[in-house]
Amino acid sequence: MEINKQLGSPASFVDQTVVPGDVVLDLSTMTNKTIKLGGGLRQDCDSISVMKAGKLRSSKPNKYWVESSQKRYVPCVEDTILGIAVDSKADNFLVDIKGPALAFLPVLAFEGGTRRNIPKFEVGTLLYVRVVKANIGMNPELSCTDASGKAAEFGPLKDGFMFETSIGLSRMLLSSPTCPVLEALGKKLSFEIAVGLNGRVWVNAASPYTVVVVANAIMNSESLSSTQQIIMVDNLLKSIQ
Amino acid sequence: MQEAELVTPGEVLGRAAELKAGKGAYVAPHNKTIYASLTGLRRIIPPPTDSADQRPTVEVTGHKAHGPVPEPGSVVIARITKVMARTASADIMCVGPKSVRENFTGIIRQQDVRATEIDKVDMHLSFHPGDMVRAVVLSLGDARAYYLSTAKNELGVVSAESSAGAAMVPISWTEMQCPLTGQIEQRKVAKVEVN
Repeated sequence: MEINKQLGSPASFVDQTVVPGDVVLDLSTMTNKTIKLGGGLRQDCDSISVMKAGKLRSSKPNKYWVESSQKRYVPCVEDTILGIAVDSKADNFLVDIKGPALAFLPVLAFEGGTRRNIPKFEVGTLLYVRVVKANIGMNPELSCTDASGKAAEFGPLKDGFMFETSIGLSRMLLSSPTCPVLEALGKKLSFEIAVGLNGRVWVNAASPYTVVVVANAIMNSESLSSTQQIIMVDNLLKSIQ
Repeated sequence: MQEAELVTPGEVLGRAAELKAGKGAYVAPHNKTIYASLTGLRRIIPPPTDSADQRPTVEVTGHKAHGPVPEPGSVVIARITKVMARTASADIMCVGPKSVRENFTGIIRQQDVRATEIDKVDMHLSFHPGDMVRAVVLSLGDARAYYLSTAKNELGVVSAESSAGAAMVPISWTEMQCPLTGQIEQRKVAKVEVN
């Protein structure tokens, strides 16, 4: 029988790689503490065990979750994602979001949307949307407005170029402070970018040359650290100049 | 006297002058003969002594393919198979106390989940796939499914499994709790009578 890892405080596992089956916390030793579990962790009576392979992360005061990068997207409420319109029905547009099921975008979920001014999206239109409902077994529901009903940049994206990345890379691109590769690119080039948490990135710029440079730089930065990213971008721009 | 003769649909059971048509039999008006409409055993039931019409009733029953069939107004137990934005699909398992012999599908619409605030119902906070619900049949519905309703106190989820895999305990008409993890999940819970 394998020796179980020492169950000390959860701090011993934070920022370490964990695999499914690892028990990271024994609740019977803690009294009166609230712990919030995020994705990848599950409560088995008195112990917290890992469900997904990745790095265990935590944030003060008491949130724990497992971070991993994969290509498949699992819809989550309040995520902003890039979807592709696939079909339109009487009440909804059907949108592909790289998840297990097609998502529904209600026809009225736009700022000032009424039955008289329903937008028409061709099949293949790229949409920047927000996930409103994401329950297991049901199709996710989307919206093109923010929580207060304003348009806030949601909606169709015209021109530009869309490419797919892993979920981890799109999370990194959206981290704050600004991720190094975007900051380095932004110092020399001017472009417009939309990042979806489902692994889709859209870039638009005045010339196709800039679009290609930005897309390649982002795709290269998948497994690089911050300094490596800056060096990579500098090399790329120098070799182009 | 009970005869147990196996008959098939279309067989002559007798004449309308001598017998009344019961379950599984019908009277053909053009020649006043009673024919069987189902497969089963032909039984003759003597008439009640105080009724005016003293003809015995002939009926066709008892074949093993005759399970109970949901009728409007009957209380059924169903298992939820799919939960969608405005409807939930369910597989009807029992009609009253008897289990059914064939597949019957039911649909619970958003407006039939409960009696109050029916336009604010969130289907996902009322049912999850796999829940057993007690419902009443509203109507025969369309070709695909019966229409069911849980809009009464004693109707709704009677048994559900939590995401940890344990049978949940109801704590109010909207909440059930998992005994293993203590997590509370929302359902439209049936008020089961405790004797």
